[in-house]
Amino acid sequence: MVDPVGETRRQKWSLTQQAFDGLLATLSPDRSTAADHYLAIRRNLVRLFEWRGCSTPDEYADEAINRCAKKIGEGEEIRDVGTYCVGIARMLVLEMSRERGKEARPLDNAPEPQTMPPEPEGDAELRMECLRRCLDELSTDNRKLILHYYQGEKDEKIKKRKELTQLFGVPAGTLRMRALRVRETLQLCADNCLRGRG
Amino acid sequence: MRSERDDEKLMVQYLLGNLSEEEQVRIEDRAFADANYLGALEAAEADLIDAYVRGELSHSERLGFERRFLTSSHRRNKVEFARDLLKVTNESKTAQNALLERPSAWLSLINLFRGWNPALQFAGILALLISVAGASWLLVENRAIRSRVAALETERRNLETGEEQLRRQLGEEQDRAGKLAAELQKPQSVSAPVVASLVLFPGLSRAETGHAQLALNPSAQLAHIEIVLEPRDDYPRYSSEIRTRSGEEVLIRGNLRRHRSAAGDVVSFDVPTNTLDAGDYELTLKGVGTGGSAQDLGYYYFRVQKP
Repeated sequence: MVDPVGETRRQKWSLTQQAFDGLLATLSPDRSTAADHYLAIRRNLVRLFEWRGCSTPDEYADEAINRCAKKIGEGEEIRDVGTYCVGIARMLVLEMSRERGKEARPLDNAPEPQTMPPEPEGDAELRMECLRRCLDELSTDNRKLILHYYQGEKDEKIKKRKELTQLFGVPAGTLRMRALRVRETLQLCADNCLRGRG
Repeated sequence: MRSERDDEKLMVQYLLGNLSEEEQVRIEDRAFADANYLGALEAAEADLIDAYVRGELSHSERLGFERRFLTSSHRRNKVEFARDLLKVTNESKTAQNALLERPSAWLSLINLFRGWNPALQFAGILALLISVAGASWLLVENRAIRSRVAALETERRNLETGEEQLRRQLGEEQDRAGKLAAELQKPQSVSAPVVASLVLFPGLSRAETGHAQLALNPSAQLAHIEIVLEPRDDYPRYSSEIRTRSGEEVLIRGNLRRHRSAAGDVVSFDVPTNTLDAGDYELTLKGVGTGGSAQDLGYYYFRVQKP
């Protein structure tokens, strides 16, 4: 993994309470509103690092926020903290790419592309059990939607999705977003179930 | 202007890491500024993950996917979840097809309503509310009548059952009276008791008590043995062992309790007579404390006599 701050080369700056308070104050005079803004910014940063193929998106997002807070603490006036943080994030992505580039090696020594590590049989069964339980907790319409929306291959899938738009009486885009939200809810439920059993 | 399909392709290329830095920045900025676009990008990601787990990606797409998606644990979780979801959707395919062919009554009604003009919709809703109110009133009335009928039915059944019981009791009493009359008419005979009895008293020293006799006639099936206790023999439970003179174990009885009889405080138990042959026996009485420890209280000797 590439170190998000190049710790080997320079001393890592840690976020102090004072710097964090300064960041929140810049986001909003109301601390609760500021906290909401902060979480939204962090969520977007995590997304960005994830989209860019970073292995530890949370760490990189925190590093971007820390650098922003440091700048604010140094007296720099930042009008749009969200945009500023995204700018820092892109710089970090470039740093990450450069570090990866330095690790270039002959093709013969290059690692194989990542694949999913095999998991123990018991884990898979437990996951399936949690998923089935969470499916049962969904409303009938949502269960019907998720099971049909992601069912079938290529043409069959397209046909099913068309049928669903007629069944639920909503446009394809709305149906897609609804299916995605149900999917996210289901995954969250399954994750929580697994954590509860683990 | 770019179509939705072009947008979708661009998003997939972005997610696979196949775009230039400028193009990537454009997509990210648009996603952060437009919630709908962000949603579409997330949906494209879900579809891409599904295509991967279904093996629908080309070789190069697959490599790109693995480079981008299998690096973070959060995204690996998404891939695992997609794999599980695929299994579940395949499992329920048959059952769900049947459901899809028959949409729920509510959905059909809602879809029908959507096609009407507002005035018609208002009238329809009003009619629906009146119907619901009427149906509810009928339901409540119907339920009250049903419960009254059920109560009457239960009462009738109880009466029938009582009458049937009385009839059966009368029949039994008549049978018994008949049998008693027949018994009285039989010539009286002296029958031997089916239970033989033996009472063992503590002597000055129980070990020295003389031989008690237990006479077992052929009709006796049980021997009732009663051991009279001394006041000092106060234990929550007792146990007793019977052995032949040569020490062979015949019977062990545990969990015995003290009770009152004509002879005083006693411990008693029954022994099947077929376990006792004619001869001399030794009976050991033990007191069992609350902790389960047993204390020998005395040894009794008796002789069994058989004709």
